[in-house]
Amino acid sequence: MAQNYLTMPGVTEKKKIKINYPLIFLLLPGLMVFLLFTIYPIVKLLIMSFFDWQLGLEQKSVFVGFKNYLQVITDPICRKAIANTFVYALVTVPSQIVLGLCVAVLIHSTKRGKITFRVLYYLPVITSWVIAALVFKYIFNNEGFLNYLLCDLLQLTENYIPWLDRPATGLFVAELLGIWKGIGWNMVVFLAALQGVPVELYEAASIDGSGKIKQFFYITLPSIKNTILFALVMLSIGAFNVFTSIQLMTGGHPAHQTEVALTWMYYKAFAARDFGYAAAFSYILAMIITLITMMLFKYFPNDHTRRIEKLT
Amino acid sequence: MFKKASLVRVIGLCLFIVALGTAFGVSAQEQVTISFWHHYNAQSPENETLNKVLIPAFEKQYPHIKVKAVPHEWDQLHKKILVSTSSNQLPDVARADIAWVPEFQKLNILVPLNQEMEDFHTVAEGLLEGPMATARVKGDYYGLALNTNTKILFYNKALFDRAGVSVPKTLDEFFMAARKLSKKTGRPIWGYAEPALAGWNICPFIWSNGGEITDPEYKVASGYLNSAQNVEIIQKLADLYRDGAMTGFSQGAIPLTDGYAQGRYGMILEGPWKFAELEVSYPQFNPVTAPMPAGKGGSVQVLGGEDIVMFKTAQKEAAWAFMRFMTSEYAQVEMAKVGQLPVNKKALESSVVRDNKNMLPFLEAIKTARPRPPVSTWPEIDKELTYAVTLSILGEKPVQESLEEAAKKIDLLLSRQ
Amino acid sequence: MKTAKKYKLLVYLILIFGVVITSTPMLYLISTSLRPNGSLYEYPPKLWPDKLTFENYRYVLFKVDFYRSFLNSLFVAITTVLLAAFIASSLAFCLARFDFPGKNLLFAAIMATMIIPGMTLIIPQFELAVTFKLVNKLGGLIPFYIAWVIPFSTFMIKGYIEGIPADFDEAIYMDGGNAFTVYRTIILPLASPSIAAVSIFNFLTVWEEYPWALTVLNDLEKRTLPITISGFFGQHNFTLWGYVFAMSVISLLPVIICFLFFQKYFISGLSSGAINH
Repeated sequence: MAQNYLTMPGVTEKKKIKINYPLIFLLLPGLMVFLLFTIYPIVKLLIMSFFDWQLGLEQKSVFVGFKNYLQVITDPICRKAIANTFVYALVTVPSQIVLGLCVAVLIHSTKRGKITFRVLYYLPVITSWVIAALVFKYIFNNEGFLNYLLCDLLQLTENYIPWLDRPATGLFVAELLGIWKGIGWNMVVFLAALQGVPVELYEAASIDGSGKIKQFFYITLPSIKNTILFALVMLSIGAFNVFTSIQLMTGGHPAHQTEVALTWMYYKAFAARDFGYAAAFSYILAMIITLITMMLFKYFPNDHTRRIEKLT
Repeated sequence: MFKKASLVRVIGLCLFIVALGTAFGVSAQEQVTISFWHHYNAQSPENETLNKVLIPAFEKQYPHIKVKAVPHEWDQLHKKILVSTSSNQLPDVARADIAWVPEFQKLNILVPLNQEMEDFHTVAEGLLEGPMATARVKGDYYGLALNTNTKILFYNKALFDRAGVSVPKTLDEFFMAARKLSKKTGRPIWGYAEPALAGWNICPFIWSNGGEITDPEYKVASGYLNSAQNVEIIQKLADLYRDGAMTGFSQGAIPLTDGYAQGRYGMILEGPWKFAELEVSYPQFNPVTAPMPAGKGGSVQVLGGEDIVMFKTAQKEAAWAFMRFMTSEYAQVEMAKVGQLPVNKKALESSVVRDNKNMLPFLEAIKTARPRPPVSTWPEIDKELTYAVTLSILGEKPVQESLEEAAKKIDLLLSRQ
Repeated sequence: MKTAKKYKLLVYLILIFGVVITSTPMLYLISTSLRPNGSLYEYPPKLWPDKLTFENYRYVLFKVDFYRSFLNSLFVAITTVLLAAFIASSLAFCLARFDFPGKNLLFAAIMATMIIPGMTLIIPQFELAVTFKLVNKLGGLIPFYIAWVIPFSTFMIKGYIEGIPADFDEAIYMDGGNAFTVYRTIILPLASPSIAAVSIFNFLTVWEEYPWALTVLNDLEKRTLPITISGFFGQHNFTLWGYVFAMSVISLLPVIICFLFFQKYFISGLSSGAINH
């Protein structure tokens, strides 16, 4: 009898079910946690974004309509922060993918030491952002090791370079940290993808006499296209969520010049106490990231359109 | 049968014990635990004194009160109180930076002590008037002064001797000395280092130069912040930075303590805590101090320090007892031993304070020190001020222009109080 | 033959060069944790100090209650990872194998929450924590952490489950099993590489989480590692870096162990998963 309540499993032949108690039992914990601890705060955040939100006992929050959104859009520092975030994404995402893919291809081609290299390249990923940011700050200090190396030892520059003091170089250091920390993740993802490429393709190409480089572009790249898209999407989301490294290394200084989206939001929420602004900004940011993700799916050369339908 | 009887007896005994317990519970004072949030660094000697000396002494004196002291990092304490405010999760008592008190009062979370505590005035009379004034908002007192501080000039004697510079007494001499001490070739030396460009750092220069941030009633900044004196003094600082004689506030700079002790910074303006920090990291180094150089407005430093405040959700009796204790002569002398400048008048007369040569110059400087504008929007005003001054000093924007813009924004913040 | 050997050597040289570059910061971290506190800004700066001292480690391990924060973090991280593994995998199983009303909406919502930055959710989440009396409780962190890691975990595991042939499930149903039996006997064992891979990510996320723990926890004895480490940053720009770095090195160990332990599942867990389809 119980079978009547079950759907027949399988990707191709899904049927509507009426009541499936085991299924509900499996679904409920995740659903409850998700609705309560994620969806409810997100809805509350949406409400906050339309108020001049006040903390404090017996304080009244005033409904202000779209004023917070208007403020975000017209705020020059906010625009600067978003521009910086775009630059961060444009620099870190491709570099991570290219370097991660290179390392993956090289490791994939070796016979011995695969695991050792995998672990060594993965170490930066498992280093926490706080620790990594502190170490980078330390290396890129005006009196840090890098300046000593460049200026005093190698004599490449005449004076110490104030890496963290200037907006462009400060962001550059944060980008470098992002790349350093991201290579390992990409390596692992691409290694996984490379294992899925049929060996016969390479064997056939070798017989045809095509070189390694040609094989890479004509066999490897097309075969792992979907993985590249996956990495692009995940890394773009990650780049827009960059926070700890900037907060600890430049703190948005000088004069908010190195602010990125999240540091600026944090500043507005907890330093300037403008929670309405911060909430509105979260939603605008989420819209930007959604747009980027959708554009990636739309314009990325991809013959498997199934994935797109699933995500959008 | 026997079993039954004994069961009854056991139950009876239990009831008796419960009744006894209840009776005692009623007669004895109810046990309370209060929580005290502070920002004594968790590794500091102050924290050690608090937990090992003061709280045990207090709990001995008030056996029915337990104190749970919770250390937070300075700006985290501020954030935590703000977030806790939204959901009624505040502690009973907190050690709050004097600059936060008006803001917390505006949030309607502090108890007006002079209205609710009968013996408030006798307690307040025992404390210094200047620091006590920092707890007053709109005529009511929302805290007790707990400790005070200000900054004086620390200079590196070896650098001064080498450059043949004498200790600056005026602002003009200060700027000159900073330039003479600086060295740009090889490993650079900066005459003067300032760790940030906030009100805490900039106000002393503005005030000593005879300028103001706002009008005396804290209603408006335009016409005050952008005055000719202020433009002049910020410009001088900007020139100093341009000439490579000032650093410290940028992210890549050597931290203040290290730069000062290692002879890379000629002068810094710092508080009494610097002695303890130097003692930890550079025990061989001998710091030398002088008063803040005087300008047209005299030698005016910024008044720092903390108030001890009670939140509206507190268990008021116990909280007030603890606040009285922390500001008592005994507690203040104990804290003075680890470098906190006391505000209790009797503690100031004690030998611990009078014989402390590190403390005396600060006690002198406090006489002319001024608090930052005691307005609820100060943290936001401070951010605008920092932004404007940073742009000016980096040379990104003319001083006049950036101060005028800041003044307009601060006007708005002042009107929002 | 000769060129092939040369090529091989070149590959190893490039890989080793890359390792040197990427591990320099780690080396610096370890070396700094081994020098005395005052000598951090010495000249010339050295990658490796002349005089090694274990004073920082001794202080951190024996003079402060660092170990308690360590145990707290371990408790929270392990509980979260275990619970999240079950919750996310069962959710992923439902999404991958069944049709039910609102399924597409649910999946879309899960994907969308990966996009909204979590920072400003702190205020509404804190109100929730107060409602459920989770403030200042170590266990109070866990439901929120689970909620944070569920979207990505579900997405990854769902992709992996979709790669497992449904024939296995059908065999169980034929034998009279239900969805729960399938989950227990087929999905959990077969999807375990993917669950392990996701668990490494989750462990790291929880292990280094800072803003939320800071907001919810008050008492010293309940604090997690990142809060305790940040407590060593002084107010007046004064930080005892030796201690900070020593604590950092120690706090890295569990993550490294966790990774080494699970790393053999790592590649396979990702390979036939979401990323290839």
